Amino acid sequence: MFRKFALAASVTAFPLLLATAAQAQDTVSVIVKATTSEYWQWVFKGAEQAGKDLNLTIEELGSPKDDAAAQISILESAAGKKPAAIVISPTIYEALGDPIAAVTAAGTPVIVIDSGAKTDQYAAFLTTNNETGGRAAADAMAQCIKERTGKAAGKVAFLTAMAGHESLDSRDKGFKDGLAAYPELTLVGNRVANNEEAEGMSLTADMLTKDSDLVGLFADNAQMGTGAGTAISEKSLGDKFCLVAFDSDKGEVEHLNDGSIYALVIQDPFMMGYAGVWYGYAAAHGVRLPRLVDTGVGVVTKANMNDPAFAGLLDVTKRSLSPFTGK
Amino acid sequence: MKDASPRTLLHNLPVESYVVAFTVVLWLILAVTAPNFLTGDNISNMMRQVSISGIIAIGVLCTIIIAGIDLSVGSVAAFCGVLVAQLLSHGLDVPLAIVLTLAAGILIGALNALSVGKLGIPAFIVTLAGLQVYRGLALLISGGMTVGGLPPGIKEFARGSLFHIPNLFLTLLAVAIIVHYFLSFTRTGRYLYALGSNSEATRRLGIPVFRITLIAYVLCSGLATLAGILLVSRLSVASPSMGNAYELQAIAAVVVGGASLFGGRGTVLGTVAGAILFTTMSNGAVLLDVDPFWEMVLEGLLIALVVYLDNLQKKRLSGV
Repeated sequence: MFRKFALAASVTAFPLLLATAAQAQDTVSVIVKATTSEYWQWVFKGAEQAGKDLNLTIEELGSPKDDAAAQISILESAAGKKPAAIVISPTIYEALGDPIAAVTAAGTPVIVIDSGAKTDQYAAFLTTNNETGGRAAADAMAQCIKERTGKAAGKVAFLTAMAGHESLDSRDKGFKDGLAAYPELTLVGNRVANNEEAEGMSLTADMLTKDSDLVGLFADNAQMGTGAGTAISEKSLGDKFCLVAFDSDKGEVEHLNDGSIYALVIQDPFMMGYAGVWYGYAAAHGVRLPRLVDTGVGVVTKANMNDPAFAGLLDVTKRSLSPFTGK
Repeated sequence: MKDASPRTLLHNLPVESYVVAFTVVLWLILAVTAPNFLTGDNISNMMRQVSISGIIAIGVLCTIIIAGIDLSVGSVAAFCGVLVAQLLSHGLDVPLAIVLTLAAGILIGALNALSVGKLGIPAFIVTLAGLQVYRGLALLISGGMTVGGLPPGIKEFARGSLFHIPNLFLTLLAVAIIVHYFLSFTRTGRYLYALGSNSEATRRLGIPVFRITLIAYVLCSGLATLAGILLVSRLSVASPSMGNAYELQAIAAVVVGGASLFGGRGTVLGTVAGAILFTTMSNGAVLLDVDPFWEMVLEGLLIALVVYLDNLQKKRLSGV
């Protein structure tokens, strides 16, 4: 399901790097979109693990909220310190293209993770296919509605965390495309929140007031998932309603457990951080890398949430990297 | 004399008239156009939705009355929310955790007042710094992660109600009544308006200016802390990203409610009406399926319109 094998093969192809890494403390800078989100903390955790394995110093950078201008300044000052490599998740596709190309041109390899940038001047791009994730959400929702009502029919809606973000837009597009396969599911609404849990909660309650016969909702990130899950749990609708949300943070996992969330579409942020640093280090030593690596999405429901394969993806503290490092 | 009487009426209109009128008109429109608007469920939803932003706005009102401002309230709510969640998840009793968190909030208010009143740093700058500092602290004490695993009792408060009125809304009512009484019927409360209207004159009258400043900022941070605790109760987890941009919502509610950013003017009733107006707008936008981007534009235009009308009245007051 997760395409770890491609990653595993490329990561284990650099055993020699370990020997050279032990001599000098090189730095790899990891720049995320927003430090206030648990998702990006998981990226940092993965990067730290890679730093330990490779004996590298990991510089963890990012602005508190998605802010392209701030991220460009952070990228420029990080590049100025000449790290071995830079791992970055661009906040805005168009805005980060030229700054990334400039860093590459100055000789520092750049590994792009999670979201793309408008340039081809990078060493590798590790990402979730967000559209695939959105389609998986539509499928999970249809399956849930079918389980509960007998057929995949009724009104559904989706909740967007923020307007104009490439990865969120792709998830929403994937969700809408995915719904096309279920002609009896009609999309009746979309609201945009301020990427804030309480607002996601209010909007969910209001959408349920507008369409009291709403049967499903897609929440396109962790903040929206937590907010929508709280609204569903407050109304005790868990066993009737089909809420599918992206990512997994503690709030979402609690709601998956209490039945308010039917399914979580999860990515592998730990691996993006971990492999991002490995790739950056490899690129700094002249290793040729695959241009594009899909780190995969998976769908977790209450039925399979205790599957050991998902343990480390639902809770980063349980993450083990045995397939990669033999630990 | 004849045509002076409607003018006199306008002169004597309380500051919150426009916001109350707008809210009533909006309610009437929605009652007609949105079939689910006037249902018990929707009204109880709106009561819950307005409570937290209303409590924060009442706090910000106190600072605006003394011609100050508090931009840190959203971050303080997030920091104190994460703090109470961390204390609870480490096994502290609910009352003890709440008392400790409120103490932290009061300390934040006292620090703001010290910086403004004793060090003479403009309130805008002090609390702008606070906006960053407390968001950063929220991230630090949570490690950037959502804090969960809270005792079930904490969720029950936000979900509960008394005589069909949500507990959250009852909390807002209690805060509103207490602060209204304080501002309107106590001498110290009246001094807040005096300080905001003319700080130099207030000082010369021998009124303890620093004590008034301290009260305003402690009330504001204390109420933001209370709001943060209620937010945790409502969400049943604490996330360092919660409370984002609440300071702007609060200032909008205060200003639309008839307060002046130059101080000396503003009421609790107007502020609560302002908060209700914004909650009604966002509720109505969903019920009528207004495009979310248009909703933002409309909300912005509404702020401009209400404040413009309000200023017209103020000009009349100052003698045309």
